[in-house]
Amino acid sequence: MPVGIDRRLVHNIDWVLLGATLTLALVGVAMVYSATHTGRSPDLYLKQLALVGLGTLGLVVASAVDYRRLADRAVLLYVLSVVALLYVLRFAPVIAGTRRWIVLGGFQLQPSELVKIAAAVFVAKVFAEYRQETLGLRDVLLPGAAVGFLALLIAREPDLGTAACLVPLFLAVAFLAGLRMRAVVGLAAVLLLTAALAWPLLKDYQRTRIYTFLDPSLDPRGAGYQKIQSQIAVGSGGLLGRGFLEGSQAQLGYLPARHTDFIFSVLAEEAGFVGVVVALALYLLVLWRMLETARLARDRLGAFLVAGIAGSFAFQVVYNVAMVAGLVPVKGLPLPLMSYGGSSILSSLLGIGLVLSVRMRRFAN
Amino acid sequence: MRIYEDLRVVQARLAILQAIAVVLVALLVVQFWSLQVLRARHFRGLAENNRSRVVTLAAPRGTLLDRGGQVLVGNRPSFNILLSPEHAPDLDRVVARLAATLGVGEATIRERLARRQPYRPVVVKTDATLEDVAALDVRRRELPEVTVEVVPLRSYPLASAAAHALGRVGEISERQLQLPEFKGLAQGSLVGQAGIESLYNRELMGKDGFRRVVVNSRGLEVTEASRQPPEDGPNLTLSIDAGLQAAVEKAFEGRAGSAVALDPRTGEILAMASTPAYDPNEFTTGIDPTLWASLATDPRTPLMNRVIQGAYSPGSTFKVIAATAALEEGLITPATTFYCPGYLNVYNATFQCRGGRGHGLMDLRGALAHSCNVYFYQVGIRLEIGRLAKWAKLMGLGAPTGVDLPHEASGLMPSPEWKMRLFKAPWYAGETVSVAIGQGQVNATPLQMARVTAVIAGGGHLVSPHLVKAAAGGSRATPPRPLGIRPETIAAVKEGMCAVVAEGTGWRARLQTVAVCGKTGSAQVVSSSRLEKSPNAFEMQPHGWFLAFAPAENPTIALAVLVEHGRSGGESAAPVARQILAHHFGLDRPAAPGAAGVADAEAED
Repeated sequence: MPVGIDRRLVHNIDWVLLGATLTLALVGVAMVYSATHTGRSPDLYLKQLALVGLGTLGLVVASAVDYRRLADRAVLLYVLSVVALLYVLRFAPVIAGTRRWIVLGGFQLQPSELVKIAAAVFVAKVFAEYRQETLGLRDVLLPGAAVGFLALLIAREPDLGTAACLVPLFLAVAFLAGLRMRAVVGLAAVLLLTAALAWPLLKDYQRTRIYTFLDPSLDPRGAGYQKIQSQIAVGSGGLLGRGFLEGSQAQLGYLPARHTDFIFSVLAEEAGFVGVVVALALYLLVLWRMLETARLARDRLGAFLVAGIAGSFAFQVVYNVAMVAGLVPVKGLPLPLMSYGGSSILSSLLGIGLVLSVRMRRFAN
Repeated sequence: MRIYEDLRVVQARLAILQAIAVVLVALLVVQFWSLQVLRARHFRGLAENNRSRVVTLAAPRGTLLDRGGQVLVGNRPSFNILLSPEHAPDLDRVVARLAATLGVGEATIRERLARRQPYRPVVVKTDATLEDVAALDVRRRELPEVTVEVVPLRSYPLASAAAHALGRVGEISERQLQLPEFKGLAQGSLVGQAGIESLYNRELMGKDGFRRVVVNSRGLEVTEASRQPPEDGPNLTLSIDAGLQAAVEKAFEGRAGSAVALDPRTGEILAMASTPAYDPNEFTTGIDPTLWASLATDPRTPLMNRVIQGAYSPGSTFKVIAATAALEEGLITPATTFYCPGYLNVYNATFQCRGGRGHGLMDLRGALAHSCNVYFYQVGIRLEIGRLAKWAKLMGLGAPTGVDLPHEASGLMPSPEWKMRLFKAPWYAGETVSVAIGQGQVNATPLQMARVTAVIAGGGHLVSPHLVKAAAGGSRATPPRPLGIRPETIAAVKEGMCAVVAEGTGWRARLQTVAVCGKTGSAQVVSSSRLEKSPNAFEMQPHGWFLAFAPAENPTIALAVLVEHGRSGGESAAPVARQILAHHFGLDRPAAPGAAGVADAEAED
């Protein structure tokens, strides 16, 4: 695979995107420290820092890759994704009731996180091949089924959150590719119908989560607990926050999954509304620069690739933060760049690396 | 060759996506504004509620002391095992382990958990042993939700002695929680439930302190945020003489009845016993339901304080009142005599005297000494019910004495108005004849009769009987009230009462070195005709009364003794009074070495 690093490429590096990304990742490390320094693994933040370093390396490599060459191997990436997900479903150890991880020499790798990148490349490539101005529902059926198959495999682990990420990924690209507005509405209707039909297929704990989301006081010690405690943490942070390492909800252990899915609660409690606005502004900046990159991309493939990555990134950020704020049901979905977890960090930084790659090559031949 | 693709649609739609992103983030900001700025105070309160727990530091109740400073009711440290279930990850496991460690039933713990108040630890075991505490200490890491607190526990070193006067403590009841006098108390608080403990509850309670502690999500205390130490309840000195009390209890051993001893000069209660009694120590940690049921349903009513709640027919002890009334009304003089043939026919009925053969010619002294009924029938006929009732009420019958104990009975002094009101029937003169010798509708508590005794002993003052000698807020007793009785009257009645012991029905109360005055009485439980049908049935026997004061000159003690179903007062109650008086005058101590032989010989008797 040709990897070109010439001056012109370096000149077009989006330093703002890179800066915002790394700032968020480092804030994440600080929050992981705050969330775990009194617990059983006080050194977790060091591991997270190492992962950010590793991920940054991956980001550099990804940005150096010419996304067009990568897209040439889209089908291969898709097949590899299916194989990895099938392997996980068949052979992965059951951890906390799910099969999500491949254990490789002490490291746990979550293939579904990397499948998101592969899916973005695959969808971008498929839609870039279309040459018509507008697309109908029939045109998106096949790629939709292909992505839906990936989502189904991930949902079987079960990991509904990550599976759901593929939906906005696909929709964003299809939308940009010229899907007719009527079709967009139709697709939304189909998705809603699917959700309604999927209801009886959900596991008990998943249904309980939705019930208690609607009325947390139903079960304050059980499924409603996370939502209640997270809201208390966020609300008690107030305007200016309770101070770093001073949040009682986080420090005394009332907040569940505080270094992973609920890391933003820790930030909201300790840094307050001001900290929340700064963090959300950084996320918005990242998103904005991604979409700018899509706008500036030299070809449809680049624009679609960035849009797919941005779609899944935006969905994760918005859903996770909305969950922390008690707006949507609790679902195991990490916050990109901040939540503790190697696969998530790696996937986010790799994705942003690809976005950088698209921008760097806006003028390249 | 470079092919520029047409990206216009892509770019137009990207602008829409950018707008969606901005709108979504803006919505999130609005929600965070609502949570963190508009409702910050609410959530700060919830966070505070999560992390801080108020632990009550129970104030030790005030100690009750006897007149000599001996502890009658005190406190001892005890261990309570507490469970904080709020954040226990696996409550079932904790409950099972606790039950096994402490030997408490799992069902009991669950029942307590079900009744708990939110964010308050549940008491799993009260008054736990040192072994329990040690066993929990070993399992500290496995059971972080479990804590041990040291609380002062009420202790009654005299056990059942004076139990009714001192009272008992118990967990506050649902009904009490609604009352204004218990305002501000939490469920589970220990409050006085009887006796002095109940009447002086507020004073004795002191002021609970508290610790505000920071706890983590597992309920483990992290630090102490603030502390307010408890204020001990102030001590209360009672007029009770512990030694005399012990003597009274000993004199009653195995018998049902009651006795109360007063200082006739002040109204201070020196001893108060009611038997059968109960051990208030059984109540301090919450009484066992089966024990409570047996106490509450026992036909011998061990929970009742007979001294103030037992209304008995006064029998012949009422003659003290009749004599005083007749003398004061000028209807008789000490020298007035009536002839007693053993009965009196009047108002178309025959009224019997004691024994039956008749006492012959009787003056007041003789009539009191031998308890001649005929003499007092004549006195009653002359007094009539109005004046008799007036004097009885003046001397404290028919109304509570105002003793500093809860739930005192009034007793009853009948009158024509009372009878008309209650039975819509006129008073018959014949009833006055019965009332004059303390039979019929009249009834009185032992404390009321002890007070009557004190009127004669103290020279005509009506005392206000009381148990609390010195309290922070002062004693509630009022000073003795002069009744305006002429000294000659007092002297005449006193002479008669001294003759009761010296030569009459109360000889069994006699002491060698101290002149004792008294009056016997027997209170009919059933009508004479029914008693004749089964003369040996215990529960049909009349109660035995004995009133006494001593020494004859400047008396220092006045008492009333009632032995239930003791037949006659002279037989049953007078010996009890003798034992009490003997202790009061120090005559029951081991004899001096020189007199040892004599004492031994008496013991052989």
